[in-house]
Amino acid sequence: MSRVIRAAVFQTAWTGDKESMIQVHEQAARDAAAQGAQVLCFQELFYGPYFCQVQDPAFYEYAERIPDGPVVERFQRLARELNLVLVLPMYEEEQPGVLYNTAAVIDADGTYLGKYRKTHIPQVKGFWEKFYFRPGNSGWPVFDTKAGRIGVYICYDRHFPEGWRALGLAGAELVFNPSATSRGLSGYLWQLEQPAAAVANEYFVGAINRVGVEEYGDNDFYGTSYFVDPEARFVGEVAGDKETELVVRDLDLAKLREVRDRWQFYRDRNPSAYGPLTTP
Amino acid sequence: MTTWEPPVPALSVRQVLALERVLAGEPEVVAGAGRLDRPVRWVHVAEAADVGVMLSGGEMVLTTGVLLAGDEHKQTEYVRSLHRAEASAVVLGLGRAFPSPPEAMRRAAERCQLPLVVLHRPFPFAQLTEEVQSRLVRRKFAAVSLSEAVRTELTALITGGAPLQRLLDEIARHCGCPVVVTNLAHRVLGTAGERSAVDDVLRDWDRIARQAGRSEGDGWIRAELGGRGESWGRLVLCGYRGDTETGRLLADRAAEALVLHRMLGGAGCSWEEQSALSLLTDLVGGAVPARHLLPRARAAGLPVNRRTFLPLVVRGRRAAPLDRTLRLLGLPGIAGELSATATAVLLSLARDQDAEALTAHFAARLRAEPADEHVVVAAAAARTSFDDVPAGLREARHVADAVADDAAALDLPPVVRLRDVHLRGLVRLLRDDPQVQSFAERELSGLLCDPGEDLLPVLRTYLATGRNKSRTAQLHHVSRPALYRRLEAIQARLGVDLDDFEQAASLHIALLAHDAQQR
Repeated sequence: MSRVIRAAVFQTAWTGDKESMIQVHEQAARDAAAQGAQVLCFQELFYGPYFCQVQDPAFYEYAERIPDGPVVERFQRLARELNLVLVLPMYEEEQPGVLYNTAAVIDADGTYLGKYRKTHIPQVKGFWEKFYFRPGNSGWPVFDTKAGRIGVYICYDRHFPEGWRALGLAGAELVFNPSATSRGLSGYLWQLEQPAAAVANEYFVGAINRVGVEEYGDNDFYGTSYFVDPEARFVGEVAGDKETELVVRDLDLAKLREVRDRWQFYRDRNPSAYGPLTTP
Repeated sequence: MTTWEPPVPALSVRQVLALERVLAGEPEVVAGAGRLDRPVRWVHVAEAADVGVMLSGGEMVLTTGVLLAGDEHKQTEYVRSLHRAEASAVVLGLGRAFPSPPEAMRRAAERCQLPLVVLHRPFPFAQLTEEVQSRLVRRKFAAVSLSEAVRTELTALITGGAPLQRLLDEIARHCGCPVVVTNLAHRVLGTAGERSAVDDVLRDWDRIARQAGRSEGDGWIRAELGGRGESWGRLVLCGYRGDTETGRLLADRAAEALVLHRMLGGAGCSWEEQSALSLLTDLVGGAVPARHLLPRARAAGLPVNRRTFLPLVVRGRRAAPLDRTLRLLGLPGIAGELSATATAVLLSLARDQDAEALTAHFAARLRAEPADEHVVVAAAAARTSFDDVPAGLREARHVADAVADDAAALDLPPVVRLRDVHLRGLVRLLRDDPQVQSFAERELSGLLCDPGEDLLPVLRTYLATGRNKSRTAQLHHVSRPALYRRLEAIQARLGVDLDDFEQAASLHIALLAHDAQQR
């Protein structure tokens, strides 16, 4: 029996200021809802630039409280109005000086369901994230939303198979991977790693990458956001690499059962042999 | 170890052995029989025991083995050194040194799969080198000629301003198989070749596109399109029937030409736009049944299974910005300019989606965009069968044409449909009727014979606004007394009373028929 959800991801370019960036995303939520989308995930640090190209304390200002900050509250109201599950990747301040790269998940009735904090923090040229974020400590939550069981795995996390698997074990049916990744650096991996994760863990993945070059560095973010199914097939086309785009796709969650019944990776995994993987 | 690759079509070992002059030497393959399809780049006569160091790969080595006789270790090492140097084959003339095939050499050659050929009859090596070398040179020359001919022809087309399709047709003519150009997402941007063969290829494009050309020799030859270190598309020869090297050469020349074409294309229409346009034009044209265009629509990225199709024609926006708006809204669809003023848009919606609401949403977004031109979205009724799409597109174009000039004055709804164009739609349909044409001429002749006075636009607005004098004065930026004077002049010229409903209606119809003629 098919169980189809209409899911969306949104890629866009930095507008130059936080308020107009928020408005662009509000409009995208309305556009997605107009098409009957049930869940929408934005790009990493969605209302800001990708400031990690430089190391400047001025950008600490972009951090907000989750869930008590104004952005989460604003989008809770919008989620309720549009009957749309929202995944909001943003800069989180737990308290002054304690900052995370986080995604808040809002249910379709506006209820705040919880957050995921990015676990793996890079510190390489153009991606100076350790300057801004502590490593996440939220574990691997899966959120039981109106649209289905949803997990989030943020950007650089995607290079680490352990988190993907943990989300699968916790019952995720769809995992979003909001990102900011640059042409040249990861181009050939972008359509390789998430489809591989979708197959290995037998769930759907929605991958989002911003577009454009911002004023803080040379990173050329190449968009090409997409959904991929548990057989590593793209659902519809991959988005363009330069422009703002809303990607709305119908995902048949029944495919999880079909693929898992066929391949049985969860039955055949053998944790008793994996001890060395978790030895510090 | 470097791998030697033939830069141009070469002879294979098997082909060399089949030459008449070589057959006279009674060749026998005693080892490496499974590798006779290796290309031979050159034929080299050498009696040195350390010949391997002198080779650069692809050579067929001829020897009498005079320096190897009696030393099995030397014989084995000789074969190994040829293998390391990636020689194509070794040919041993039996006679003084070896009366029969030496077992040590045979074993060594078999182990490393190097073809070892013995000649049973005495044979002047010079004849063989001359024969093979002249053939190789001829083949190289033929390949260079072909390469040059194709390049010259394609360059001439490009500099002559030929469109992408013309270029692809020419490439397909040279290749004798379907040719497909895609972007990196495997969306088909252009095809050429025999229609039924192309349709066969496109039917299951999504799957085969990802598999084609993974291995050489299946006739699927791919060439990357790109420049400055960035790839942006692919050219695929689908089932090329000639030898792989020639196919490769043709694909490379074609790819160079396509890159050049795109670079010179500058700010013109992108290939994505051209592809959408040719599909929409073929749909509107109706020369090909819509179901025959399904593979192309699917390959162009338009979802076609269990969908609702929404044919629209937009005035006041070109294809590129419309395409951007579609992507911004996440609406699957294609756009193409049918004329300088009308752009067709075909949306493909899921069956449960509200077509009217989404059209309204799309139209509202277009109206909200800052632009110089007033935008009109004409919509046909949604179609659930792809076969009905051409009729839908024609309906939308008809609606768009019917409201073309008076969009501002008419106070149209955001999305205009057939039911909104009333009499205009009917007149538009009848515009080619000679009786309607002469009726229009007769009714309006008093104004048409002297267009200098500008009275026709005033009459048009006056009738279009339902004979609203103050609105007409406002739209023409004149005072009411000035408008009255013009209306009196119109009445005098035409000999009619504009307050008489039937006379005014008759004039209105004539004017609509006249305007329909102008477009």
